Amino acid sequence: MRDWKRLAPYVATAAIIGSAALLALSAPSNAESTATIPPPGRLLASNCFQCHSVSGTTSGFDNIKGKSSSEIYKEMIDFKSGKEGNGLMGRHAMGYTDAQIRLIADYLATLR
Amino acid sequence: MERRVFLRNASVLAGSFALAACGGGGSGTVAAPQPSTPTPVPTPTPTPTPSPPVVAKARVIVVGGGMAGATVAKYLRLWGDSIEVTLIDKAQVYTSNIMSSLVLTGQRSINSLEYSYDALRSTYGISVVNDEVVAIDPSTTEVTLALGGRLKADRIVLAPGIDFDAVPGLADTNVMPHAWKAGPQTTLLAQQLSAMPAGGTVVLTIPPAPYRCPPGPYERACLVADWLRLNKPGSKLLIFDANPQIIVEKDNFERAFSQLYGSIIEYYPNVMINSVDQASRTLNTSGGAVRADVINLIPRQKAPLLVSKTGLINDAAGRFASVNLLDYSSTLAPSVHVIGDSSSTTQPKAGHIANQEAKICADAIIRSLGGLAPDPAPITTSACFSTITMSQASWLHAMFEYDATSQAMQLIPASFAASSGWSSNDFKDMNTWFNSLMADTFA
Repeated sequence: MRDWKRLAPYVATAAIIGSAALLALSAPSNAESTATIPPPGRLLASNCFQCHSVSGTTSGFDNIKGKSSSEIYKEMIDFKSGKEGNGLMGRHAMGYTDAQIRLIADYLATLR
Repeated sequence: MERRVFLRNASVLAGSFALAACGGGGSGTVAAPQPSTPTPVPTPTPTPTPSPPVVAKARVIVVGGGMAGATVAKYLRLWGDSIEVTLIDKAQVYTSNIMSSLVLTGQRSINSLEYSYDALRSTYGISVVNDEVVAIDPSTTEVTLALGGRLKADRIVLAPGIDFDAVPGLADTNVMPHAWKAGPQTTLLAQQLSAMPAGGTVVLTIPPAPYRCPPGPYERACLVADWLRLNKPGSKLLIFDANPQIIVEKDNFERAFSQLYGSIIEYYPNVMINSVDQASRTLNTSGGAVRADVINLIPRQKAPLLVSKTGLINDAAGRFASVNLLDYSSTLAPSVHVIGDSSSTTQPKAGHIANQEAKICADAIIRSLGGLAPDPAPITTSACFSTITMSQASWLHAMFEYDATSQAMQLIPASFAASSGWSSNDFKDMNTWFNSLMADTFA
């Protein structure tokens, strides 16, 4: 059951050190903080990807890439208003404020 | 609840079982040998904006390659290209808990629930290490591997899922499998169900909340009852729930239990499992002793040993790790983050929401490494479908938002609802939802 342990040196990363050695995975200390501020709406919009995946070849429900911000905004507001019925997506839209929906729409419109 | 009822229904035979809903957690299955995969060249892929790999500015170690761990690793690379990410899991592939009850009814194979780390390696440039972390030093952000060797990083993210309390008398959990970490026990439970005689008795036990996937046991009960109806006529399914009532989607499950499965399911709330007798397949419960042909014993849950060994268990019940909800850092160790089922939050323990917790954590780490504060208003989503029959499902949806006053994630009332009943269309949507969620996590 534990035979796998013998197959040690996997490759994976430069990170693994032989026994007991300490691999200095630590980053270069001069990590200058050239951090750019993440696009507004990105984190919020990542809720969308759960059911509308934008990764790989598998698609989820309706494609959310390649639409304009106003198009996405309008659809979301229709869901939020209940105009699209009482389904799961309606409930999801109802969870956001108008301002949050704008942020999401603006971000999704940048996806290619 | 009456003891007599238990005794009446519970003769002994041997049988088998099934379930389908929430995901979550690093793998708990036995590790398989790891044929070393050629190390792919890190080639971050651009969904939003392609960024060429640069010299690593920081390194993050992710422990556990389940729904939370795979997602945080992926999004750290996708959104923060200059971060080097190492994902450690003892299993070579992740086996999805979501949909795994369908293995019990023979509607899915366990293999169809396996997700490889190939895309995380090749598309996102994540180093995936098949090993087990046996110790973590939060002060130096180092981890020690079972195979020997240590790794050091700037941040550590723990996503090890759940572990189970030991059940007195149950030396061999395969005798009464939990099948609550998809894998060999899922297959075993399916075999036990199919070997069971018609007219037999199955018991499903539900632990005290919080446990992984709140609707999961109830949906499993529905699915198994539907399967018993067709395949083992005359059989009973006894549900022993440690909770005072059905804890989620009560309307749908209550209606299904009485209207669809009135002659099969008997639901008993407030039943604790005190001990078991393996040899006679008997449960010693707070309502009396019950023997059954097949027992799906889902024990009470807690964060795995690694989390407690690291000293991070500090919730009121002493079972899970309290975290800051803006970045999922441990309230005891700022460089160690805990996401998914091991953390103690107001959110359900489930794969869908773990995926979003992971994105919040990734975004916050990226910001933090750049000297920025975390997003002050994160939102998470918990959505899932539950199998009410072998071909119909219901849905449940809730969102949570950060509340600065309580420093907790609060339910957004307008977002909270379940389907009114169930349908075959929702069963179809369940598959779409599942495939998308898994793509967002592993592809």
